[in-house]
Amino acid sequence: MAESARDPRTGSHLVAAALRQEMDRDGSVVVFGEDVAGLGGVFGATRGLARRFGDRRVFDTPVSETAFLGMAVGAAQAGLRPVVELMFADFLGVCFDQILNQMAKNTYMSGGRVRVPLVLRSAVGCIGSAAQHSQVLSATFAHIPGLKVAYPASAGDLQGMLVAAIRDDNPVVFLEHKWLLKTRLSELPFNDATPADAQIVGRPLGRLRRLRDGADVTIVAAGYLVQLALLAAAGLEGKGISAGVVDLRSLVPLDRDGLVREALGAPCLLVVDDDYQQYGMTGEVLATIAEELRHEAPAMGRHAVRVPIPAAAVLEAEVVPSVPSIAQAARDLVEGRAGA
Amino acid sequence: MNADDLLEVFEVMLRARLFEEEVGRAVVSGEIHGEMHLGIGHEAVGAALGRHLRPGDAVVSTHRAHLHALAAGVDPVELAAELLERDGLNHGKGGHMHLFDPVARFMCTGIVGAGVPIAAGYALVQSLQAAGALTVAVMGDGTMNQGAVFETMNLAAVRALPMVFVCEDNGYSISVRREDSTAGELHRRGAAFGIPGFACDGTDVDRIDAAMGEAFEITRKKSRPSLVVASVYRFRGHYEGDLDLYRPAGEKEAALARDPVRRLRQRLLDGGTPLARLAEAESRASDAVTRWFASARRRPVPRRETAADHVFVGADG
Repeated sequence: MAESARDPRTGSHLVAAALRQEMDRDGSVVVFGEDVAGLGGVFGATRGLARRFGDRRVFDTPVSETAFLGMAVGAAQAGLRPVVELMFADFLGVCFDQILNQMAKNTYMSGGRVRVPLVLRSAVGCIGSAAQHSQVLSATFAHIPGLKVAYPASAGDLQGMLVAAIRDDNPVVFLEHKWLLKTRLSELPFNDATPADAQIVGRPLGRLRRLRDGADVTIVAAGYLVQLALLAAAGLEGKGISAGVVDLRSLVPLDRDGLVREALGAPCLLVVDDDYQQYGMTGEVLATIAEELRHEAPAMGRHAVRVPIPAAAVLEAEVVPSVPSIAQAARDLVEGRAGA
Repeated sequence: MNADDLLEVFEVMLRARLFEEEVGRAVVSGEIHGEMHLGIGHEAVGAALGRHLRPGDAVVSTHRAHLHALAAGVDPVELAAELLERDGLNHGKGGHMHLFDPVARFMCTGIVGAGVPIAAGYALVQSLQAAGALTVAVMGDGTMNQGAVFETMNLAAVRALPMVFVCEDNGYSISVRREDSTAGELHRRGAAFGIPGFACDGTDVDRIDAAMGEAFEITRKKSRPSLVVASVYRFRGHYEGDLDLYRPAGEKEAALARDPVRRLRQRLLDGGTPLARLAEAESRASDAVTRWFASARRRPVPRRETAADHVFVGADG
């Protein structure tokens, strides 16, 4: 704890360190995208890489997401392991065909003859930038067969799951919450980062983990909201509610067995998400549990985003799940005001 | 090209023609149930590609891709089996618009324009290897109006990627005539990016061969993009079953003079190639295609239980 209190790094330093390690280890890993070389990424997540690895392996592209993402698909098929940065996940709209019809499907359509070992890193979540620069869109990616979708919640996962994603032979969408990228590790509610000089070990996708035990309600989340759920659970303790927190870690693969295990031990289960609720992750998780457990399923609720993200801070706070709103949703569920 | 070269090109084009005609019959018989786009009329482009591609080169093509697959060296039996919805090149997962052969470095995609940036990825790898290999991105004149093409021209020029943009300009974007959809001259579209462009009659084997030779040489030697626009005539509808009612009366008949196979045959005869040699070439081409399809039809259909395979490779597959 004393160690992490002094840690001056932010999440973006951790991403850069993981990239550097993998680029040192494997000459086929290349990094390109908008502002990743000279600037080191708008959030600093590729800092130092261009200087260390040179223009052949780290370079800036024009503001042409379709061109550089398509180039990444082709380069991956031809033997490289590109890690490309889509500056904001919101920008998927301008290059969606490459994601939907090429990156995701070429392995399947080739009958397994073509591999697309490509990581699409993208910054997600609210930092006051309204409806076109605040979205998470994890379910939009996760809806498409053929894409793995990682949404790390912690500093350690930001590094470890990125290492695993780079080594994966499949396309992986790697969602990095802006708050995690920008926040000093010493300020995180939960910091499990690898020390600066230590080897970063890969952490597999598709295995959820319980970060806090709770007897009354289990809160399931991914990404940033895991950190908020931990804070909400700590607050609920003082009000006589024992809340556990489960971190999904990746939406695809989804840890179905893990979910069933967690649901069996929980009287109530609340799923929270900073992506849109309609047809999204919250519904997928609840449906999975309902399918597997039927009458043994716990009381279930969900709490996610239902409208576009507004600009003004007071409205943004109203729309996106927060520590108090997660706590309230958990209380409502436990006290029988279900539906949350 | 000398007389022997021309005769060889004739045989390559005739094989491609007969290949497409057999595929067309398989659509009519119901053996192929999906959408089908044939390249009848485009054969000289495929033949020229075949003459200029070298080992290590890659080709990324479109929904009208069989000719380019054959030119790139894709096994014709594997190809035919895949088109016939059997356990072929891609185990029945891709079909006619989504063919992938990592050994021949060939792929195609059914989304207009989407293959062009992917071709840049193959060219990126080739530029890092610096062994003189290049990638061909094939497109139609309709594709030239996709933003992906402009984006990729710019990126390829900025990164000095060894890629040749090859446009088969058949005058129609599905049903819309060229003059109603497309401004300016296509071969000049590279100029703003510093990409040299070559326009040619893509039904004249010498002209398409020369244009492609020049473009390939620039791209291979200088590692920079180039553009070839080959004007051709699409003798079939956009897809098999297209009633083709949007063509003016008599257009197709008039275009017969631009049928590259007929045209070269006549030229060979006029140039003194004995009819017997021509007949031998015709019979070899016909036998080859008959043999390919007979082999392809002996392939089993894919097993039902494989439908969920290959969404991912490895443990999650």
